[in-house]
Amino acid sequence: MDSPWKKWFPTLMVFAIFLSPLLLISPKTYITLTISGLAMGMLLFLVASGFSLIFGLLSVLNLAHGALFTWGAYIGFTSFGLINQWTGWGGSESIFLNITIFLLALLTAGLLVALLGVITERLVIRPVYGSHLFQIFITVGAMIVLEELVRIVWGPNDEVMPVPISFMGSYDLFDVVVSKYPLIAIAMGLIIYFVILMILRKTKLGTIVRAGVENPEMVQVMGHNIYRYFTGVFAVGSALAAIGGGMWATFVKSIHPAMGGEVIIFALIVAIIGGLGSITGSVVGALLVGLSYNYVAYLVPKAALGITMLLLVVILSIRPTGLFSEGT
Amino acid sequence: MAEVEPVDEPILKVERIHSLIGKHHVLQGVSFQVDPGKVTVLLGRNGAGKSTTLRTIMGLLSPSQGTIRFKEQAIHHMKPYEISRLGIGFVPEDRGIFNLLTVEENFRVAMHQENGKTRERMETVFHIFPDLKKFWKATAGNLSGGQKQMLAIARPLVNRNELLLIDEPSKGLAPIIIDHLIDSINKLKEFTVVILVEQNFYMASSLGSDFYLFDDGRTVHHGQMEELVQNEELKKKYLGISG
Amino acid sequence: MNPVQQFRLEEKGVRFRNPYFFLRILLLAFFVFTPFMFRSFEVLDVVLKIIIFSALVASYDVILGYTGIVSLGHVLYFGIGCYSVGIFMGNLGWISYGHLALAFLIAIAVSGILSVLIGLFSLRIRAIFFAMVTLAFMEFAFILSSQLRSITGGDDGISFKLPGILAVDYSIGHFLGIELTGRILSYFLILLICMILFLFMLRFVHSPVGRVLQSIRDNEPRSIALGYRTYLFQVIASSFASCVAAVAGACFAIWVRYVSPDSSLSVSIMLDVLLMVIVGGMGTLYGGIFGAAFLMVTRAFLPKLQVLVGSILPGVPMAARLSERWLFYFGLLFIIIVYFFPKGIVGTVQEFFSKRRTS
Repeated sequence: MDSPWKKWFPTLMVFAIFLSPLLLISPKTYITLTISGLAMGMLLFLVASGFSLIFGLLSVLNLAHGALFTWGAYIGFTSFGLINQWTGWGGSESIFLNITIFLLALLTAGLLVALLGVITERLVIRPVYGSHLFQIFITVGAMIVLEELVRIVWGPNDEVMPVPISFMGSYDLFDVVVSKYPLIAIAMGLIIYFVILMILRKTKLGTIVRAGVENPEMVQVMGHNIYRYFTGVFAVGSALAAIGGGMWATFVKSIHPAMGGEVIIFALIVAIIGGLGSITGSVVGALLVGLSYNYVAYLVPKAALGITMLLLVVILSIRPTGLFSEGT
Repeated sequence: MAEVEPVDEPILKVERIHSLIGKHHVLQGVSFQVDPGKVTVLLGRNGAGKSTTLRTIMGLLSPSQGTIRFKEQAIHHMKPYEISRLGIGFVPEDRGIFNLLTVEENFRVAMHQENGKTRERMETVFHIFPDLKKFWKATAGNLSGGQKQMLAIARPLVNRNELLLIDEPSKGLAPIIIDHLIDSINKLKEFTVVILVEQNFYMASSLGSDFYLFDDGRTVHHGQMEELVQNEELKKKYLGISG
Repeated sequence: MNPVQQFRLEEKGVRFRNPYFFLRILLLAFFVFTPFMFRSFEVLDVVLKIIIFSALVASYDVILGYTGIVSLGHVLYFGIGCYSVGIFMGNLGWISYGHLALAFLIAIAVSGILSVLIGLFSLRIRAIFFAMVTLAFMEFAFILSSQLRSITGGDDGISFKLPGILAVDYSIGHFLGIELTGRILSYFLILLICMILFLFMLRFVHSPVGRVLQSIRDNEPRSIALGYRTYLFQVIASSFASCVAAVAGACFAIWVRYVSPDSSLSVSIMLDVLLMVIVGGMGTLYGGIFGAAFLMVTRAFLPKLQVLVGSILPGVPMAARLSERWLFYFGLLFIIIVYFFPKGIVGTVQEFFSKRRTS
């Protein structure tokens, strides 16, 4: 059904964007920018993939996703602080302890926000399944409430996100400056991507979810309680948003209550570019956005956001349903 | 000579069900029963309520009145997935194939458990539908129309299936494929009771033993298929077929 | 005679028997006499904002309630209206009636063209893309307006003066006991413009095009089957509504004499508009007035409530924060209304009366 050209189009596109700035930027800077672009891409992937999966399976445009991201960042912030107070691992010189505390904080954020996501889904979104209009409204309502709750619990001001000692600074590889944390973020993102992909491809659970993305009613008829899968996917999507939030906060070293609203726009664009309901699409879309944003931000700082919008417009004009189809 | 009345209890008993889709009162008193070991055909014009009846049995619509009993158990308030687990399979009009999944994955979604018995049943399915074995790893969306229909019919059979609801299997298929399909359904009659909704009278009459006629959301007539084949008046009145 | 003309004729016949007709007259009278009844600027400010937001919300309702597509970036056009006036009067300093009119025209033109473009490329695919794409564009415009300092004044925005009778220090004397200052005159000018906008919108939703839109909203596949290119109609509706929003934005700029990204383009204004349309009720146009009134009045009273809570529970930071976060309650209210009164105030009341009339 697709010509070979169309099949390879997304991949070619990524490489074209990946390499074109070399014409304008010195190779050293290029590598530095590429790494931070990839890191930004991976963080966006974490947010966008949950958003995209939820849309794919539940057909819910979850505008509260950004607020869950914020919650993830704040819970990560608090739990990091608490664990650090108790053990001092964050300030330790050992990279192993640093990674442990970082992962523990992310885990707490992921679990608690997954719970929050489940509550949101059950209480707020489930009653309006099937009505697009009300779903959008209700998730806007949920977004306001969740974001305001952050302000009530943690106060309205910016906070400084603690970063483990060994995550700071940079390596100097053959005169190229490579910051440490982006490398960690890229690794984490890749691991999470492959885990999700394997679950979707190889397990029965994943197969049912992919089937549900295509035809939820038929999955019910085959004897599976689709609502349980809805809730499960919502929980996983929320956890991904939370992990993304925690990692993003560590990346920019600060948190504030409106941070989710800013990132959700990027996630939205990534999800549309990649194709709603596609995990691989989310990765490719996120990398496209992350890389192009960083290259352009270096060349013409003010046009950085413009390039993202341009990407959206161009891709939607060429492939109206995004680069990848649902369920891939 | 008239056939002997079946001694067994009916496997499915539908009594005076009413169903609404939105504001439209689609079913206005549908009653019928399905006896074990038979293929029951639901006939009627477009919009008479046949598909809606199947969807109501499957729990995709809940009836506003009336009862549906499957082997004595009331099922009209159950959820589709619970009904499916009782051993009722459903092949919708659009076939409900997961096009992006492979044939194997389509079966995997259909399986309630995976054990020795499932593998045994799988062999039976391959025996009836050899094409599916051939295209086991193929993406379902790339199958031909006939193969898709076979996949759709075969999927529920990997479970302990006692009743299979098939909605218009002949739709959009070439006559030669329809013959092929009739053979296959005839073979699976041994394993499961079938309710067939069919517009193609040739297919309906070659498979069915009992029939029910639908008109305006009601069951208006029923009997043995042989009677209907000879009753020109009835065919003309409700089905618009002559000759 | 086509059905639309017939409907209008029937409407005309029962006009004076319709209680809503008198309600509308009463409402208009209230708006006209407000400056004479209330001397405080605060009240005038709230009432005028209600008027402007009523027009904005009604224009949003044209897309949402009458066309059935969700835009999350409608405030973008409101912002275009604001900035158009702001840039002409403030940044360029061309303070004259002609340039003010030109600012209005440019705002309408830019909004119209932009909304047609956005609509053409996002509505063609899936109506839900429209929601996302419009939101992305609004956010883009927001960031753009805070970055392009030389044109928009960045985050600080632009303050400006208005020509002739609209200027603050202008006065033509006393009438009915109040001084007719530039403020009062701009109040009447904006009231007039908003009323015209409202009449335009009423005319639009009852026009043949409006009827097609409602049929698309109710059953899109059938409208396609009837031979309508549904997305073109949706594009028409969204660009019409966008032009109205641009005019409302320009009026807003005239009233506050100041534009900034936060006051004219931000997501929080979009949230306000959503809330107003939900409170008022979708698909009613008049609902916007109630929604806007509810939100504006509540917001005006909130600081007093905060002081009250502070005096009852002094020294409890959580209580103070809880009372500060009025948006939190609006969010809850939002969810509750969507659940229990999906038709909003006007819709629910209308339904109540029509039920009583038939029973």
